[in-house]
Amino acid sequence: MFDKILFATTASPTCDNAAKVAFDLELKWDAKLFIFHVFGVPTRGYSPFVTDVRTGETEQIDPDYVEWVKEEMRNTYDVLLKDSENNVIEAVVGVPHREILRKARKENVDMIIMGAHTRDENVGAARYRAVVGSTMQRVAKAARCPVVIIARPCTTCWKLFSNIVFCTDFSKASDYAFLWAHKLAKTVGARLHIFHASDIGMGSTGQAQGQQEIEERIASAKERIEKKYVSKIKDYDNYGIEIWEGIPYVEILKYAREHNGDLIVMAHHTREIDPKDAVLGSTVEQVVLRASCPVASVNHPEKVSEEPE
Amino acid sequence: MPEGKLCNKQTVDAKEQLDALLADKGGKQYYEEMNHLDVDKKALRATLKNVVRSRFKTWLEICSHCGLCAESCFYFLANDRDPKQVPSYKIQATLGKLLKRKGDVDNAFMQECMDSAFSKCTCCTRCGVYCPFGIDTGLMFAYMRGILFSQGFSPWEMKIGTGMHRIYRAQMDVTTEDWVETCEWMAEEYEDDWPGLKIPVDVQNADIMYTVNAREPKHYPEDLAEAAILFRVAGENWTVPSEGWEETSLAMFAGDGAACKMQVESVYDAMDRLKPKRMVVTECGHAYRATVIEGPYWAGIKSGQPPVESIHYVEWVAEALRTGKLKIDPSKKIKEPVTYQDSCNYIRNGGLGDVAREIMGYIAEDFREMDPCREHNFCCGGGGGLNGIGRYREQRNVGLKIKRDQILATGAKLVVAPCHNCWDAIRDLEEIYKIGIRWSFLKPLLISMIDVPEHFKPTEEE
Repeated sequence: MFDKILFATTASPTCDNAAKVAFDLELKWDAKLFIFHVFGVPTRGYSPFVTDVRTGETEQIDPDYVEWVKEEMRNTYDVLLKDSENNVIEAVVGVPHREILRKARKENVDMIIMGAHTRDENVGAARYRAVVGSTMQRVAKAARCPVVIIARPCTTCWKLFSNIVFCTDFSKASDYAFLWAHKLAKTVGARLHIFHASDIGMGSTGQAQGQQEIEERIASAKERIEKKYVSKIKDYDNYGIEIWEGIPYVEILKYAREHNGDLIVMAHHTREIDPKDAVLGSTVEQVVLRASCPVASVNHPEKVSEEPE
Repeated sequence: MPEGKLCNKQTVDAKEQLDALLADKGGKQYYEEMNHLDVDKKALRATLKNVVRSRFKTWLEICSHCGLCAESCFYFLANDRDPKQVPSYKIQATLGKLLKRKGDVDNAFMQECMDSAFSKCTCCTRCGVYCPFGIDTGLMFAYMRGILFSQGFSPWEMKIGTGMHRIYRAQMDVTTEDWVETCEWMAEEYEDDWPGLKIPVDVQNADIMYTVNAREPKHYPEDLAEAAILFRVAGENWTVPSEGWEETSLAMFAGDGAACKMQVESVYDAMDRLKPKRMVVTECGHAYRATVIEGPYWAGIKSGQPPVESIHYVEWVAEALRTGKLKIDPSKKIKEPVTYQDSCNYIRNGGLGDVAREIMGYIAEDFREMDPCREHNFCCGGGGGLNGIGRYREQRNVGLKIKRDQILATGAKLVVAPCHNCWDAIRDLEEIYKIGIRWSFLKPLLISMIDVPEHFKPTEEE
C-alpha cells in the first residue's frame, strides 16, 4: 500500500513523534523513506541569503552547508536510522510547503508524514508557520496523496491499528478519504468507524436548532452514509456507523478517544488559506492539534484505490 | 596572480564554472582572488573610449558641483549627510578619475569603484531628476558597472547572476522542462478551487504573452497560478512561452552587456515565434526596464521598441479594472490605511505612476501616498541588485532607513509593492527595524477582492 513515503520534517523535536511513525512504516511496508527537510527560506528578490528555519539566522548556502544540515539530520535520527534499510536524507532550500509538494509530486509518493508544525515552543516550527502560514495546512490541501499528521506520541504501531475513525462531511473529498480509510482498514484488519458529526453550531440565521430538526438531520446523514459508503464496502464486515451532534471537531475527538481510535481519517478541503486564520481555522486543524492519535488528511482521488493491493 | 580561478575577466558560460562559484561560500575565495587581479590597462582604455563618449564626457565636464543632487540621494540622507555620498562626488571620484587617468589605475582603485558602484548607488536615477543640467549619475554608474565587469571587478553574486542568464536564460537554474512542468503543476493544484484553470504554453496568436521572474517558478509558483486565475476571470486569451519566459536581467545590474542581449533576445524570439498581440510582464520592476525599455537597444532594434507592445502588470490590472474585465466587490476593498511603493524602474523610469494610482482607487478605501512619491519616490533601498550582494549588506541596511521612515509617516500598516525587489527590501526592513508592517503583491490582494463569475466557482458535488 505504501512504496514511497515522504517524511517532511522540521528536523526538530516537533517532528519526533512523526519520525517514529515514519521509520516504523518504512520497515513494516518495505517502503522507501524520503527524510526531507526544507531548511532555508529564500527571499523574493534576487539574493543568495536564506533564513535558516531552525536557527532563524540568515545564511548563505553552499554545498558544505547543505552537507552540514544533512549531518545534523543524521544525528537527530541516529537511533531510528540504525534499523532503517531504505532511506534517503535530503535537505533543500525553498518555501517549506512548496518544496514538500514538489518532492511529493516528483517522486510520486504514496503518503506524506508530517509533524503538526503548530507548537510555538520550537523555533523551527514557529518559523514554518510565521513565514508561510501553515505548512501543514497547505500541504494537506494540495497534496495528491494522503497526508498523515502526527502531533503526539503514537502508541500503536501502524500495522497493529485496530480502530480507524473515518469522519465525513459528505464532500467529494470525503469520498476519497473514505476509499483510503476503507482500503487501509481492510489491509491492516482494523475496525472501520464511519463517523459523522452533525453541526449544531448556530447557523447564519443565529437560531439554535430544535430537537426535531437535529433528529431529522441525523436520520438523513445515516441514509447518506448507507448510500455513499456502506454500499461500497465489500467482503468486510468489521465496520460501524455513528452519528453524533455537536461541534464537529469536539465530537470527532470525543469519539476517537472513546473508541481508542488509532488513526483519524478525514478530508481537508477548506478553501480559505489565509495565514491569519489557517492554523486554528478549520475542523481538521482543531482535530490535528488536539487528537492523541495520528490524523490522515485525504483530499484527492490519486493514491486511493478501492481494492487493497 | 593576474587572473583568479573564480575571480577573473572571463564570463561564466559553463555549468562547471557556475558550480565552482556557487561552492565558494559568500565569495570568500573570489574576493581574495580579486585582491590580486591585474588591471588590463590597455583593454580598460579601449573600453573607456567605447563607453564614455560625448554625453558622459559632457556630463562629467559640466557638473558645477552645485550640490543640488545631494539631498536627492537616499544614501546621502541615510548616512548623516556624508559629503562622500553626494552623487556628483561619487561619480567624479570613480568614473571621473578613471577617465582623467586614462585607465592608468590599480587594483585598489578598481575595488573602490566597485564598492561605490554597487553599495553607494542603486542606479535609481533619482538624482538625475533634480540636476539642473539633467546629469544622470545613475546611468553613468550603470555603465561604470559594465566597465568594472569587463575587468573582473564584479561582486560575487553578480558574477553568478550573469552566469545564470548565460547558461539558463534565467536568473536562476530553472530549465525549460522545469518551467513547463511548473505550469502544469500549478494548473493542476489550483483547478479544484478554480475549475478549468489552465496555464496555456506556447499558444500562437494569443492576445497576451505573459512573462515572469524566475523566482516565481523556482520558489513561489503560486504567483503564476494567481496570474492564471486573474487572466481567466478577466476572460483573457493568454499564453506563456516555453522558452523566453524570463523577464529579469541580473546581467543589467552586473553590467554584462552581452548577457543582457542574450537574455532579452530569448524573450523577443518567443514573441516572434508565438506572435502575441501584447506582452505582459509580471510584478517586477527591473524586469520591465530590462525587457521593455532597455532591451530593444541591447537587441539592436532601431525603433527602440520591443517586437510587440509590452506592458507592465500594473498596466494590465488598471486596464482590466477600467474596462470591467475585473470587478472589485466594494465590500471587500481594503479598509485599513494602505500605501504604495513606487518602483523606480517602472514608475520613475517607466512613467507608470498614474496607473498605479488608478488601481489603488479601485481597491483601497484609505490610500495614503508616501512623501515624496511617484517619480520622486525614493528607492526601496535594495535596488540595482543590492539586495542580493552579501558584501554590502550593512550599507544596504543603513539605506533602508529612508523607506522605513517614509512608510511610518503614512501611518499605513500595509504596503502594496508590485516589484520583487521592493517587496524583498520592505520585508527585510521589517525584519531589521520591526515597525509592524505587512506587504503584498497585487495578485493575492486582487484575488481576495474580485467578483468571481458563477461558472468559475467550484461546484460541491455530492
